[in-house]
Amino acid sequence: MLYVVLFFLIFSLYLYVVLGGADYGAGIVELFSSEENQKITKKTLYRVMGPVWEANHIWIIILIVILWIAFPVYYNIMVVHLHIPLTIVLLGVTLRGVAFVFRHYDAVIDNSQRLYDAMFKISSLVTPIFLGMVFGTLISGEIKIVDDIATLSFYEAFVRPWFNVFSVLIGLFFAALCAFLSSVLLIGESEGGKENIYIRKARIATIVVFVVGLITFGYGYISDYVFVKDFIKNPYSVISMLLSGLLLIPLWLTIKNGRRILSRLFAGLQVFLILLAALISHFPDIVITETGSISLIDNIAPDSVINALGIALIIGGTLILPGLFHLLKSFKMIKILERNNNPSI
Amino acid sequence: MENLDAARLQMAFTLIFHIVFACIGMVMPFFMVVSHYKWLKTRDQIYLTLTKSWQKGVAIFFVTGAVSGTALSFELGLLWPEFMKHAGPIIGMPFSLEGAAFFVEAIALGFYLYGWNKLPEKFHWITGIIIGVSGVASGILVVAANGWMNAPSGFDYIDGKFLNIDPIQAMLNPAWFTQALHMTLAAFTATGFAVAGIHAYQIYKKRKVELHKKAFKIAITFGAIAAILQPISGDISAKDIAERQPVKLAAMEAHYNTEKGAPLYIGGVVDAKTQEVKYKIALPGMLSFLAFGDFDAEVKGLNDFPEDERPNVPIVHYAFQTMVGIGGILMLAGILYFISLKKKKWFQDRKYWLLFIILAPMGFIALEAGWIVTEVGRQPWIIHKIMRTKDAVTPMPGIVFSFYMYVVVYLTLSVAVTWLMLRQIRVLNQSNQ
Repeated sequence: MLYVVLFFLIFSLYLYVVLGGADYGAGIVELFSSEENQKITKKTLYRVMGPVWEANHIWIIILIVILWIAFPVYYNIMVVHLHIPLTIVLLGVTLRGVAFVFRHYDAVIDNSQRLYDAMFKISSLVTPIFLGMVFGTLISGEIKIVDDIATLSFYEAFVRPWFNVFSVLIGLFFAALCAFLSSVLLIGESEGGKENIYIRKARIATIVVFVVGLITFGYGYISDYVFVKDFIKNPYSVISMLLSGLLLIPLWLTIKNGRRILSRLFAGLQVFLILLAALISHFPDIVITETGSISLIDNIAPDSVINALGIALIIGGTLILPGLFHLLKSFKMIKILERNNNPSI
Repeated sequence: MENLDAARLQMAFTLIFHIVFACIGMVMPFFMVVSHYKWLKTRDQIYLTLTKSWQKGVAIFFVTGAVSGTALSFELGLLWPEFMKHAGPIIGMPFSLEGAAFFVEAIALGFYLYGWNKLPEKFHWITGIIIGVSGVASGILVVAANGWMNAPSGFDYIDGKFLNIDPIQAMLNPAWFTQALHMTLAAFTATGFAVAGIHAYQIYKKRKVELHKKAFKIAITFGAIAAILQPISGDISAKDIAERQPVKLAAMEAHYNTEKGAPLYIGGVVDAKTQEVKYKIALPGMLSFLAFGDFDAEVKGLNDFPEDERPNVPIVHYAFQTMVGIGGILMLAGILYFISLKKKKWFQDRKYWLLFIILAPMGFIALEAGWIVTEVGRQPWIIHKIMRTKDAVTPMPGIVFSFYMYVVVYLTLSVAVTWLMLRQIRVLNQSNQ
């Protein structure tokens, strides 16, 4: 049953990164667009994301709930040491969700739209940066675990772990990844020459991901980050990373040929490989602290809890996934499926 | 401000908001599907207009409920890491099922909102039902987790360790049913009266009377039935608490000294120092009767419990009085509504509508007061008799700033949501049905 729980943990993390990521990315793309393109993006975004964006963000709740039920020690470290960035993430999620609803459900369209738009775009950028920082912190080795946390200064215990160059770089990397995912998604949702906007964005995002990734590794290597050193030594991580890079070729080919669904699959696969590379390099020691690392597997809840959770997840999964798939199919992809059936359109 | 106080205030503050959003998001879908059903049956355009405007309300409250709920799922850990470290695995069952129910709700909402003219009519309507049912299921599951804090079960507590965990037994703890029943009825009462009150105001102002009267009737029917059933559930709860948490019952009634044939106090000002309740109406033997079904039964007083195991008596007492008082008024109003169905001319009387306008916020005030009774009444424990709240709080200092931040954000958001709702109503009134 532990494997079922682990599967759902990684599965929901992945889906959150991909679906939630594409969702955040849309706001980032909108932020870095000309005024005219912003309008187009806003409209497309509403049509594409409207029916599914709430579902996209529930994955993080599932993730958090699995963590606290099955991996309480791990969860405890996160909520104690990462209190501040997690609170900022929460604030971002809140403002972003509210802004999305306000700008699409407000009965009157007037100047307040500008405020909603600004709120939406800024929180779309800030939230994934801090989410990435949280992940970066957990693998950075900056967290100090001591018996009595009161012996540490406020800065040492609650600020320095996440407020450092490495974590910020990982945060920027994740934000760029979101923009990349979203651009690829939006290419497939536009027509009449507008897809060129997103092809351009996708290209920029790819470059940013690559450059930020390189800087992160370079910085991590020079500064002796355990994670980076282990990553490079781990053949699985390196292969996954290289594969992910190589996939850029078929990705661009499919985009060029207008194979919309296939291009999304490639982009999703790339992100999966990146996530896999990051997780596998140290698995199961997902938290790296200053003095060592903490295993995800060694600190789990008792068997009875894991079994019950596994069963609940299987039941929930069979209930949710077909519905979710149907929802995605019914709305988001309707246009594309229609187009594929009638190539003349 | 002490960290513990700040953390408690922040938790209370965010919960107070979340409860309102969650209740509306959970109950309004039922109004919406009734109106939708009537549209399908009668093809009366008014019902379609109403359904679509309620659907916007459902969407807005679902999202505000979802984001404030996401915030809470983080806050539980951020503010009470020690609690979650031990309790998380034990009460994980209702939370993981709640996650599933919530997911189903979000999917159904996606279908419902975007399914007009795209999905088969019946299927579309059923997705509306699923929104409501899964919303109520989420509510019940979360309350079951809270019930566990009042009635911890499903584990053995040996030498400070939680052993032999049984998540199912923890979920089905002795308090889950009484609390869930009381809360579900309260949600229907509060939302029913609130929505009915808003439409009553529109009728009072003579705007689109036909539409708002239809809306009023649907909402108040739910609210009135729930309000009339609520006292039965309250009685079950009182008897349950008398047995499991006698100190909470004593605080609710500001009952200091153990006695047989204990009187029930109505109203009154509590003086915690002199342990007196002034200016009250005392009904002899009634407390014993309500708690144990026997006018002579012995009811334990606060003084029978160690001082560091008692909650704040005045807060719990006033909150309890508020809840029961308003509950009684709403029950009477519910009966009044059913009488008014026979006496049609009351509908012409502006005073009738004024009454329901005044009652609009009452259900929510009672509901919040009820939660104050449960939560403050459980103090100083976070897990009844197992873990104290002060031992669960985060070691991070300065929570007071986080509290201020939440106050600013949530107050701004509630002003914004209210303003948005007013705009919805204004547009609804301007529309050509």
